[in-house]
Amino acid sequence: MKTITVSFLLNGKKTSVTSLPNRTLLDVLREDLGLTGAKDACGGEGECGACTVIMNGNPVNSCMIFIGQIEGTQITTIEGLMEKGEFHRLQKSFVEAGAVQCGFCTPGAILTAKTLLDNNPHPTDHEIREGLSGNLCRCTGYNKMIDAIHLAEQGGLDD
Amino acid sequence: MTDRFLTVGKSLHRKDAWDKTTGKALYTADIPIENLRVGMIVRSPHHYARILDIDKKQSLEIPGVLAVLMSDDIPGDKVFGPLIPDQPSLARDVVRHLGEPVVLIIAETKRAAQEAANQIQVSYEPLGAVFDPVQAAREDAPQLHQDGNVITALNIKDGDIEKGFQDADHILDDTYTLPRIHPGYMEPETSLAVWGEDQTITVWVSSQHPFTDQRFIAAALDLPVENVRVKSGVIGGAFGGKEDSSLSILAALGAWAIKGAVRLVNTRRESFIAHPKRHPAQIHYKLGAMSDGTFTALKAEVHMDTGAYASYGPAVAAILTETLAGAYRIPNVQVESFVVYTNSPLSGAMRGFGSPQSHFAVESMVDSMAEEIGMDPVQIRRANILKVGEKMFTGVTLNETANALPICLDKAQEIMDRFRAVEVSPGKKAGVGMALAAQSMGLGANVPDDSTHRLEWAPDGKVLIHLGAPDLGQGLAMAVEQITAEALGLPYSQVESLPLDTLDRPNGNVTCASRMTYMAGNALIDASEKLIQDLLAHAGEILEVPAKMLVYKEGQIIKEDGKKLPVVEFLGRLAEKSITLTSESTFSFPYPEETTPQGLPIGMPHVLYCFGAQVARVEVDPDLGTVEVTHFAAIHDVGKVISQSGVEGQIEGGVATGLGYALYETMLRKDDQWVDSFTEYLLPTSKDLPTHYESIILEIPEASGPYGAKGIGEIPLVPTAPAVANAVKNAVGVRVKKLPITPERVLGFID
Repeated sequence: MKTITVSFLLNGKKTSVTSLPNRTLLDVLREDLGLTGAKDACGGEGECGACTVIMNGNPVNSCMIFIGQIEGTQITTIEGLMEKGEFHRLQKSFVEAGAVQCGFCTPGAILTAKTLLDNNPHPTDHEIREGLSGNLCRCTGYNKMIDAIHLAEQGGLDD
Repeated sequence: MTDRFLTVGKSLHRKDAWDKTTGKALYTADIPIENLRVGMIVRSPHHYARILDIDKKQSLEIPGVLAVLMSDDIPGDKVFGPLIPDQPSLARDVVRHLGEPVVLIIAETKRAAQEAANQIQVSYEPLGAVFDPVQAAREDAPQLHQDGNVITALNIKDGDIEKGFQDADHILDDTYTLPRIHPGYMEPETSLAVWGEDQTITVWVSSQHPFTDQRFIAAALDLPVENVRVKSGVIGGAFGGKEDSSLSILAALGAWAIKGAVRLVNTRRESFIAHPKRHPAQIHYKLGAMSDGTFTALKAEVHMDTGAYASYGPAVAAILTETLAGAYRIPNVQVESFVVYTNSPLSGAMRGFGSPQSHFAVESMVDSMAEEIGMDPVQIRRANILKVGEKMFTGVTLNETANALPICLDKAQEIMDRFRAVEVSPGKKAGVGMALAAQSMGLGANVPDDSTHRLEWAPDGKVLIHLGAPDLGQGLAMAVEQITAEALGLPYSQVESLPLDTLDRPNGNVTCASRMTYMAGNALIDASEKLIQDLLAHAGEILEVPAKMLVYKEGQIIKEDGKKLPVVEFLGRLAEKSITLTSESTFSFPYPEETTPQGLPIGMPHVLYCFGAQVARVEVDPDLGTVEVTHFAAIHDVGKVISQSGVEGQIEGGVATGLGYALYETMLRKDDQWVDSFTEYLLPTSKDLPTHYESIILEIPEASGPYGAKGIGEIPLVPTAPAVANAVKNAVGVRVKKLPITPERVLGFID
């Protein structure tokens, strides 16, 4: 099998990767680029959301994206969410609300929540539950994640 | 009343949460290592078969393949097991379940490992498998192990069972069936092993007890225990499932074989078929009651499917059996429980450890009995709950925390009335149900349970906790930091716990059984007192005054004249003399002679209990049979809240897992294969959980607990499924006796 080279914007930086084409974005992030914030919890089947990254503004399961599909895209991983050394308001609100337990689903859940708020700055509980439903969590029962997302959308976080 | 606590009881930020929100937290699968090699396990495609031959020649010829290992290649112990050493690290002669490890491949790349796995030739002679524990317990069933299939047979009696049923005006008899459940931690099992110099090895694990991994690895590699260093990665959830060795033996074997670094990570499919699950059980339950509702007799027979190897099966049976009467006074009891080997995947420890199974039976049956007699569900419970000083059928006397039981019922009654008043959605039928629970803490009598932890007062004034037991993700570290900060009168920010490392950390024992905050908390309060005494002794020497003239308070030493000196000054002076202040303390789980009945099998009884009640409101579609839990309330006594957000998180997450047990989850065998992915095995999502949710936290101090705390890790999922089943019965009149409560069962199409 021949390798391919793809170029894309990763966390705001031009990046190019040479890889066999049958590998996924998740493999490349974790194995080639050392970005291990995206997790594999379901065995690369697109069922758990733990590998969620933002691709062109949308949350995607990076385990379902083959490397050939990322040419020219903009990708944000959890490692790229802080800006100028400042935590994103969702990172703060997840900590503040006690929404982080084991943390394995946290990066994916925060990135999903970011796209949710980008598209709908003040979601209802129902909209949050719909939006988060692709991100499995066994620890929290989701209540505190929903609280965290409200906390972020309503402001009022301590700095 | 003003809160006398500085730190305990508050909602604080977890210190590990920041790294978890930025992707910096390193789970074992994330740890970067030079020259890392990939491990891959070739697993049995059969439920039960004899291994005739393994031909590894072709696989060894594949470029990049470094080792192809079989049972014979293991230099030391070839089997392991937490209670009974019956589980081969790699199968030898026979495979007893689908997915059993047979060959371990180590290669330079995943691709090479996969190719080698494809090339391995294993010849099997399939044997007739048995999956039903009742069938497997018969003598004519295939015998999977040398000593037969029944590994545990408990027969616990109290009172006079015949007389008990003679005294009864009503007798009900039912069979309840519980499914196989995946613990469902998001982080699959993983281990990373690095071979070092001088016959040493370092292994990172995702484990509830790294010291057990250390012992197993040393035995398998025939190394002295001190040559094996085990470190804890950040753990992505465990829920009991990581009490069993999670790939650490095989990762270590691989590293030993190539004298290099090897990581093994289970895929989710491997996690499903090859790592322990919650025990499926069949519970035959017969209850007698007088017409005023007083229970007179209980006879139960339990068959538990522990799968191909024992894992924690016998210990799970103890708690399942001990909690079969729930929180009720039943004077005449006979309970027989059998733990049986089958060709199913292993069953072992999972959050609740037997009591979710027992409570589904007892709490469903109590509602049935209430209906039979014509009593209210809360009223019948009120008539039978154990009071302080009364004995469970195991002979265990309940302490004053049993005062939680009537309060739980009062609260449940209020909530049920409120939930009943909620308007019903068009086309739906609504119902409200409740269940009560008693969940044990601890490993059981006569099981050694010492937990050691250490404190270090660093020269910069920070107190470091050398925690001897891992935080599984639930927030143990935060809880013990709050306790230690409280005990030393220091700000929470000044206390920090360190990750587990068997090299130089004390052994705190396994994090499980709703007891590690209790154990470590008690040890660290004692260690804090020792640390203060040591500090005062040194300060006395430095100040040239007797230590007893000095008082420690909140980071300062107060002299007799009232002058306050910051502790950091003394720590600095001591550091100059190369003195570091440390203290260590061991807490042993108490089994007081006067309240611990003797003569029961080892590991029985459990003497300390947590109590709670839950209320569910459901709406059932009478045409489709679908059940929606619209409202839910969880009432739990925690003794004393250590961490407010931590306790809430445990309850909310436990309820979610309980609702999965009630409505969705079951690891079925379909077309002779096990359900092995989240596509078919449905964990609850954010859309599936009740939109109206409340936690009611009670605080009835436990005299033996740190600041009065007891456990909250397990009980939140224990009463959930029967509360939902009772609500469904209330809504549509159908008593579902087999979990999960699927639409087909609600409509009566199956079972």
